[in-house]
Amino acid sequence: MSFHNRIEGNEIIVFADTSLYSKDSIFKCLYWYGDKYHANVSFVDSNTYKISLKPMSDNLISAEQAEKLLQKLERDLLDFNLRDIVTKETKNIRDLLIAKAFSNGEFDELPPGELSDPVGFNVNEIKND
Amino acid sequence: MIDAKHERKTRKFKESDYYDLKKDGQYFLLPFRFHRITPEKEIIVNEVGDFLILPTGTCERIVKRQIDKKTDSELYGDLIANYFISEEIIPPLIDVLATRYRTKKLFLNHFTGLHIFVISLRCEHTCHYCQVSRVTQNRDKYDMPIDYIDKGIEIMFKSPNPHVTMEFQGGEALLAFDNIKHAVEKAESIAKEIGKGLTKVICTNLAIVTEEILEYCKEHEILISTSLDGPKFIHDSNRHKPHASSYELTIKGIELARKILGHDRVSALMTTTKLSLDYPVEIVDEYFNMGFQGIFLRNISPYGFALRTEKSRYDTEKFLTFYKKALDRILEYNFQGHYFTEDLARIFLIKMLSPFNVGFVDLQSPAGLINGVIVFNYDGGVYATDESRMLAEQKDFTFKLGTLDDSYNELFFGKKAQEIAEVWANESLAGCSECAFQPYCGADPVHNHATQGDMYGYRPNSDFCQKNMEIIRYLIELMESDKKIKNIFQGWARTVNH
Ligand code: SF4
Repeated sequence: MSFHNRIEGNEIIVFADTSLYSKDSIFKCLYWYGDKYHANVSFVDSNTYKISLKPMSDNLISAEQAEKLLQKLERDLLDFNLRDIVTKETKNIRDLLIAKAFSNGEFDELPPGELSDPVGFNVNEIKND
Repeated sequence: MIDAKHERKTRKFKESDYYDLKKDGQYFLLPFRFHRITPEKEIIVNEVGDFLILPTGTCERIVKRQIDKKTDSELYGDLIANYFISEEIIPPLIDVLATRYRTKKLFLNHFTGLHIFVISLRCEHTCHYCQVSRVTQNRDKYDMPIDYIDKGIEIMFKSPNPHVTMEFQGGEALLAFDNIKHAVEKAESIAKEIGKGLTKVICTNLAIVTEEILEYCKEHEILISTSLDGPKFIHDSNRHKPHASSYELTIKGIELARKILGHDRVSALMTTTKLSLDYPVEIVDEYFNMGFQGIFLRNISPYGFALRTEKSRYDTEKFLTFYKKALDRILEYNFQGHYFTEDLARIFLIKMLSPFNVGFVDLQSPAGLINGVIVFNYDGGVYATDESRMLAEQKDFTFKLGTLDDSYNELFFGKKAQEIAEVWANESLAGCSECAFQPYCGADPVHNHATQGDMYGYRPNSDFCQKNMEIIRYLIELMESDKKIKNIFQGWARTVNH
């Protein structure tokens, strides 16, 4: 079953595949619409979110504005999904980075790889006795 | 003849393939955020504020691993060099990046520096937007008693900061000059005894300044910070003084202060009002002609009486139009070879273009209230910021940390301070957490509370957010559009007070 994004009267309706869009990204995106629109998210089936925006009563919009709004919402959903991917993929490295920044050396380590110097001996083998 | 290849092998350099850690073209993402700045361009910003401007759609390609090391070699190199992607799961130079992050948060190192003493609430002006001042002779009620001054000084020197600043504000601070003298001399002797740095500033409209006062300031190395709203017709309309021109008194005062203290010991701040919005060029010209090196285009505070008077109500859109026109004029002066800055832009540019940061109360995260600035009110109340004590004049004590009779720990680490600390980092605020401008922007719980009714704030209709986001975006757009502007901005960013 396929769902088409559309404008129904004054309401903007967009569908998103649950395997492509994270729930977090949808809510983070809709946060920015909350001052002017009633935003709603629901499941139409287990694979599809239905997202709708309804202008608040003091914010009536024209057909042309509705068309633009639909476009903006589609684009913002994509953008926030990308942001969410970056945030989640980089969570650990970000934590490590900040822990290192505020630590006093306890998270420092030697750079990975072979350490050698131009004179040719391996510093890793030099022992301090 | 030496075989070049062989020669290279005898050195310790490896073949370039050796460094090609991910030959399958895969790379790892490092933390960054993005924002569309124009329909054609987007910006990506990493955790330490380094940024790249890229054609729209590039961010998506980066995330989808579509940047090819060979065909997109230049972009690929830029992304690696600027810590947006890495060929290893933990980038080999993560410690360098961590050190840079620490440098960006260096303002946290020393804790509270600025200590504001509201030495008197009395004033001889009746400015229409002023929230707090009183025209009165009642010293007992509206001047800070010596006892509180002493307690404030005691608390100030408990700050772990090796260099503290005491700033006298009013009302009109000079109406209580005898008390200032007491405070200065007492603080100087303690600073000397315990070996702390001490900067002293008097904020004054200069209307009642005398040579004698300025000689004292010279002797004690006190800086003067005054108010200048623009040309005479704007300044006098904003700052009403019964039976006199505030502007003429200020200009005379600036000239005298410069003569006695030295040109650079006198600074001026402007307040933007509804009237100012129509005169961006005239206001910039006034500052330039008065020989200042820059201007800080500040919007009017939304606190207290200012919010209630129709005369001061204007929206952020209008301020942004005003700001851009004024910035254009400032750039014109720079094109002519003058060094003349806009200080809000300069704060953002230092964060964007230099390895440093600027501790500025609402443009840092964690915000500068309490850990950067503290206010001792004339009546002994201790507040998180200057704006907080203005709210208190309207019986809103949300940001009152206690009184000068409380202990240092109760004030700086008490329940109220902890409550504020929950919301003072934009890294963890809704909206800000995914915003590309997060490293350049800040958090302002007091402003959120005053304008939106809660400290956490709501970004979609926050004027603080709208203003900062658009100004940062505009600065980037300007730099992208004109190499000359980029050079000027780089010059501004180099003058860091760190
Ligand atoms: S206040 Fe606005 S511009 Fe500033 S970091 Fe938050 S979302 Fe970004």
